[in-house]
Amino acid sequence: MSFKCPVCKKEWNASLQVARHMFGTGDKPHKAWVDSQGLSFIDLMIEQATTPGNKSYVTLAEIIEKAQDKL
Amino acid sequence: MNKYAVINTHVHNVDGIAKVTGRATYTFDVKLPGMLYGKILRSPHPHAKILNIDASRALKLPGVIGVVTGKDTLGVKQGIWRRYKDLCDEQILPVDKVRYIGEPVAAVAAVTEEIAEQALDLIDVEYEVLPAVFEPLDAIKKDAPEIHEGFERNINVTRHIEWGDVETAFEEADYIREDWFKCGGQAHMCMETRAAVSSYTPEGKLTVYSSTQSPYYMQGLLAGVLGLKEGNIRVISHYVGGGFGGKFELDGAIFCSAVLSMKLFRPVKIVYTREEDFIATKRRTPMYYYVRTGVKKDGTFCAREAKVFTNGGAYTGMGATALYLTGFFHSFPYRWRGYRYDGYRVYTNTLPSTSMRGFGAPQAMFCSEQQIEWIAADLGLDPIEMRRKNGHYPGYEVPGQATIASCGLDQCFDEIQKWIKGKGKLPEGRAIGISACGFMSGGIFNWFDTPYSFSSAVVTINQDGTVELYVGAQEIGQGSNTTMAIICAETLGVKVEDIKVHSGDTDHCPADLGAWGSRQTLMAGNAVKMAAEDAKKQLLEFAQAKMGINIVYDLDIKNRWVHIVARPERGMDYFELVKEALRGKDGQRIVGRGYYTPHRKGMISPAYSYMLQGVEVEIDRETGKIKLIDSLTAHDCGQPINHLGLIGQLEGAFSMAAGYGYLEYMPYEDGKLMNPNLVDYKVIRATEMPEAAVAEIDTYEPEGPYGAKEAGEGLTNPTAAAIGNAIFHALGLQMKECPIRPEMILKALKEKEEKEKEGK
Repeated sequence: MSFKCPVCKKEWNASLQVARHMFGTGDKPHKAWVDSQGLSFIDLMIEQATTPGNKSYVTLAEIIEKAQDKL
Repeated sequence: MNKYAVINTHVHNVDGIAKVTGRATYTFDVKLPGMLYGKILRSPHPHAKILNIDASRALKLPGVIGVVTGKDTLGVKQGIWRRYKDLCDEQILPVDKVRYIGEPVAAVAAVTEEIAEQALDLIDVEYEVLPAVFEPLDAIKKDAPEIHEGFERNINVTRHIEWGDVETAFEEADYIREDWFKCGGQAHMCMETRAAVSSYTPEGKLTVYSSTQSPYYMQGLLAGVLGLKEGNIRVISHYVGGGFGGKFELDGAIFCSAVLSMKLFRPVKIVYTREEDFIATKRRTPMYYYVRTGVKKDGTFCAREAKVFTNGGAYTGMGATALYLTGFFHSFPYRWRGYRYDGYRVYTNTLPSTSMRGFGAPQAMFCSEQQIEWIAADLGLDPIEMRRKNGHYPGYEVPGQATIASCGLDQCFDEIQKWIKGKGKLPEGRAIGISACGFMSGGIFNWFDTPYSFSSAVVTINQDGTVELYVGAQEIGQGSNTTMAIICAETLGVKVEDIKVHSGDTDHCPADLGAWGSRQTLMAGNAVKMAAEDAKKQLLEFAQAKMGINIVYDLDIKNRWVHIVARPERGMDYFELVKEALRGKDGQRIVGRGYYTPHRKGMISPAYSYMLQGVEVEIDRETGKIKLIDSLTAHDCGQPINHLGLIGQLEGAFSMAAGYGYLEYMPYEDGKLMNPNLVDYKVIRATEMPEAAVAEIDTYEPEGPYGAKEAGEGLTNPTAAAIGNAIFHALGLQMKECPIRPEMILKALKEKEEKEKEGK
C-alpha cells in the first residue's frame, strides 16, 4: 500500500515516511496542513527534536493515514 | 614499486618558488592605478532595527571619496542556494535590521586606509535595539525574539535521514546508551584574511581580485546581487592564503568593494583585519548533539538515533549542508540496521555558522567515536575489534545514501593496532585514544544550479612540447595546481616541468565549482585526465601514421618517449612528434578538453576516504593541561597522487583538528566574541605539534583519476574524538564538550573524586 502526501501528493510505502517528508519540507503549505488537523507543526517538530524516540512522527503518520481516503 | 612515472613521486609545488621568494601576488598585494581603500562600519548590536544612517559628516572628511549603505544596492538577499531561494537570507549591507555584532552597515572609500577608518567614526547610525537570543535551545522557545520574519521559533532548516526499522533495531539491542554533547565553533583562521580589490569601468565590466575558494561561484553570486551578466564580471584569484570552507560564499570585502567601485568608477580595495575576520565572517557550526546507540552484547551495532541542534547564527550560509552532512557522517564508518537523524538549524543573534573543513563531520565524530569507546568499555570489549566488526567494506551500501566502491578501513585497524602494540607500556598520565571516520570526495550538490560541468579542463600543447593546462579548480594553498600538473604529466607522458597550470581567472579558465568538499582531486582530476587523454590521442594518431606501424599495436608516451607498448624501444621523441603533429593540423595547436560531473553516485559523493587515527596524549592532573605526544593516521585515500601535498594536508588537518579538540574556543557574551585576536584565541603552535605520521593504505577507487580519492579534509574529522578517548583512558573522564579545556578536566576530575568518595 502506498501513502500520499496530502499536500504535494508524492507517494511513499509507509505513512511514517510521509510524516518525515512533511517535517523535512516544512514549507508553508505543509505546515498549514498539519496545523489544520488540530496539531501544531512547530510543537510537534520541537517535541521530536527534544525527546528520544519518534513520537511526533508517529502522531503525524496516524493523521496522514486517516486522511488518505480524502486524497 | 611505483608503477607511475610522476604520480606519487616527490614533486615540489609548482608555485612553491614564487611563494618562498615573495613574488606570488595575493589579493593583499594587488595595487591598481587610482585605487581607493575601503573600510566597513559594523553593527555594535546583536539585534537592532536600522532607523537611519547619516554619512554627511564622513563625506566631509578630506580624503573620503564615497560612502555606500544598503540603499546603494539592489537589496538582493544572497546565498549560494540559487536552486533554493528561501535559503538566500543574507543581504550584505542590510537596510531593515542587523542580526549580529559585526554585521556590515555601511562602507567607506578613501584615499588611504587610515582616512577610511577615521571616517567610520563620523557615520551616524540610529538603531532601535531589539531583544536578542544567542543559543539555539533558547531561540526555539515560544517567547524568543524573531530573528527572521516567517521562521517560526527561529528554525532555519531541518534535515532528516532514516533507514531501516529503527525501533525494532533498538529492541534487538542488549545495551543502549544515550549522551548529550556540545561541540563548539571554530574560526577558519586563514593566513590571508578576507580581501578583495574591485574595479568597475564605464564599459560596464567589473574585475574583482579576491581571496576565494571558487572564482566561478563569486562571479555568479556577484552577478546576482549587482544585476550584471556573469560574463561581464572577471574574478581573479591566482594566489589564495587558505580557505578551509570559509571562502566560497560572498563576503563583505568582495561585496562592499564591488558596490563602492560601481558607485565611484575607481578600484577599491578592502582587506579585513584579523579582528574583522573573527567577528564578521563565518565559523564552524556549533552543535548540540543527542546520541542514543543500541548494541548487542558481542558489540554488533543495532541502531542509532541522533538529534542535533546547530547554532546557525544570523544567516544560513552553508549551514544547511553542514546540517545534512553531520547527520550522514555521524553514521560513518559503520553499518547500522536502523539509523535515524533529525537535524535542526536554529537562527541566533550570533556570527553565522557555515562550512568548515570537515563540513559537520568533526562534530559528528567527536560525539560518535567517544560514545563508541565508552560503549566498548561498558561492555568490556576491545574498542578496535568492536569497530572492525561493524565497519564499512568495499561494496557496502549505506541505505538510500551511498555505495562504497573502495574502502581500506580494515587495513587501517591493522596499522593502528600495530602502532599501539609497538608503544608498549606508557608512562603515568599518558594514554592513546583512537577514532575512525570516513569522508566524501566531493559533493553531489548543485545548490548553485550551475548548467556547467562540475569540473572542466583544457590542455593545449605548444610547438616546443610544453603544455598549457587551464583548470577551474582553485589553488588555495593545498597544492591543487601541483596535483593537476601531476595528473596531466602522467597522462600525457611528459614531466611536471613541461606543464604550466593556469587557474584562478574566470576570463581564461573553464567554469568549475572550486575548492570545497574535497572535490578537486577526484572531480577536477578526472577532467584533467580526460583533457590530457584527448590531447594525447590526437598526438598518437600522428605517431601511428608517421611510424607506419601495424594498427594492431598500441602506442603510449612515457617520459617524453613515444613508443609501441609491446616494444618500448621502438618509438620517437615526444618533442619531434609535437612539431610534426602541428604541421599536420595546418598549424593548429593540439587542444584536449575534459570534464566531469557525477552521475548515479548516490546522494552525497562519488567516493569516500577512510581513516583511523591514534593520538598519544599526556594530561597534567594538577593543571588539566593537555599535551599531544605522538600520532599516527592510517589513511585510505585510494591512490595517492601528490605525495608531498598529501603529507602537508595531513599535518595541516591534524593541527586544525587538534586545535578544535582542545584549544580553539570561541566564548560569546551577549552575542560578542570575547577573544577575537591571536593572543587569546589559541591556535596550536609549532612547538605543540606532535609527530603527525601517516600510514597509507593501498586501495583503488574506480571513480577517481588513477584510483585517487580525497586526502585533505577528512583528516580533520577524527582528532577531537581521539584526544577525548585518550583522556578517557588516562583519567576515566568522559568529556562531552569540545574544545576540551583544562578547567573542564579539573572540574571533571573533582566530580569524579567526589563520586568515588561517596561510593566508598
